[in-house]
Amino acid sequence: MRTVTGIRGTINALAAIFWKGMKHYTRYPGGFLLYLILPFLFTILIFGMGRFIGGGNATLNFAARTGTTNVLVYEMLGSAVWMTGWVVVDDVAVALRDEQMKGTLEQNFLAPVNRFTLLVGISLTDIAITTSIFFIVVGVTLALTMPGAYLGLIQAFLMLLIGLIPLFGIGFLFAGFVIKFKEPYVFTQMVNLIFGALTGTYYPVTILPYWVQFLSGALPQTYVISNMRQIVLANQTLVSLYGSIFILLALALVYPTIGYAVFKKLERNASVTGELSKY
Amino acid sequence: MSQVNSLSTDTLSRLTEEFKAAFMKDLRSYIRQPAWLLGDLVSTPLWFFFLALGVTLFAPTTQTSEYQGFSFFFFGFIFIVLFSTAIWGTGQSVRNEQMAGTLEQFFLAPANRLTLIIGRWARIFVTDALIIGYTTILLYVFGGGPLPLYEPALFVFALGLYEVGSIGFGLLFAGLTMKLKSYNTLSNLVFFSYMILTGALFPVTVIPMPFRYVSLAIPFTYFIDLMRRAALLTPTILPEFLEYMASILVAFAMLLVGFITFNWIEQDARARGSIATN
Repeated sequence: MRTVTGIRGTINALAAIFWKGMKHYTRYPGGFLLYLILPFLFTILIFGMGRFIGGGNATLNFAARTGTTNVLVYEMLGSAVWMTGWVVVDDVAVALRDEQMKGTLEQNFLAPVNRFTLLVGISLTDIAITTSIFFIVVGVTLALTMPGAYLGLIQAFLMLLIGLIPLFGIGFLFAGFVIKFKEPYVFTQMVNLIFGALTGTYYPVTILPYWVQFLSGALPQTYVISNMRQIVLANQTLVSLYGSIFILLALALVYPTIGYAVFKKLERNASVTGELSKY
Repeated sequence: MSQVNSLSTDTLSRLTEEFKAAFMKDLRSYIRQPAWLLGDLVSTPLWFFFLALGVTLFAPTTQTSEYQGFSFFFFGFIFIVLFSTAIWGTGQSVRNEQMAGTLEQFFLAPANRLTLIIGRWARIFVTDALIIGYTTILLYVFGGGPLPLYEPALFVFALGLYEVGSIGFGLLFAGLTMKLKSYNTLSNLVFFSYMILTGALFPVTVIPMPFRYVSLAIPFTYFIDLMRRAALLTPTILPEFLEYMASILVAFAMLLVGFITFNWIEQDARARGSIATN
């Protein structure tokens, strides 16, 4: 099948997919609102439980284990990155299943656009959404608690952008699984929870058992959360964190390559067995 | 057809039969989707571990009352699972049929639709109880210790009040699904607000003062308080006898309000032709 080629054609296709995603978000703003509110609710919940357990010394106990008394920023950075992963898993992985449910997957796959462009287009919408989540959630938190930390905010955002590339790769991988196995919602719920638990959303991963830390090390969000906390709360810079940035860049090569290869393989199998449009 | 419920549901045996059929239908549907069962078995204990790990950062470094804290959180986790039944079980029953395109058949069947919804609630209550049991064993194996239950009879009674109230709340939510199509946002917001405001995971005394009034105005705060009192002998918010009396009244009032609201919204949706709008 002939597909759109050339830079201009690809950009037009990407723009069309991007705007389609954005229209969906603006027509159903409830989902976006939830992504903005959940980090605050989870942080309040954890802090409330912590206050009960730790009493008047809760913050000091927290500082003894994390090196900072700024509980709100520490937890909100974790929450914001967790929500980012949540958006990518919910959107990239489930987007094609949604098309399947609506009966429009075949039209999408028959359009003269290659699959990679389609997946990248969906990811572009998510870059806009996750950027908004980051600046609203983390920006508001920093404005309230650390008004002078704008440089840290920008560096933390750059860290997020680097981390998004491998995360999209994971999203491509899951998109293939969802086409193959259907029933994505149980799957995404579990994956989001596992990501939250493994990546140190509300605690340093060093408190996890050693074998679990090994799994954490394979997830990009682990580095993003840890580095953001270093930048914002310990005045580190992107340059001083070059080691974990190299790891993130390596993951940015590995995950999209594996993710897309697996997606293509599962998609090809589904098109042979006639499973593509099964409801 | 002006009556809300079918005339064929006028005997107790008929209602029991309908309830059993609704329960079995939902159980079959659940068992046919092994992913749901797997998701529940993995996600439920994982949520507990996830939140508990976050909280350990605040614990004293020389912890002596760890066991009591564990029990407190574990009961909190049970209260959350129970509430999820009201929101995503009873509340979402109508929405699920709407999405599957079977709501019209469901409502045209010569059966009481409230029985059908309560049949779904019963299925989820049973599977939730199994999952809570499984998680208790799992946590015990991981060193959490046995859970105390000092006054089992009072605990069951308070649980009964909780469930009566939650069915009423679930019916209200089920009615709302006929009005609101973007149900997920509302249900998530209500669910997380419940976790924070009702003292499920920490006592309401931890909540700062203006917000504590909101907590004290939520009926679930008292149902939870009574269950925790029965299980762990923690002090109650109100004098115990008064709290039981108030909870009994509120639980049945919630059931009544849920029932009336559901019927009212359904009648309205039928008149507007919006019942099956997806």
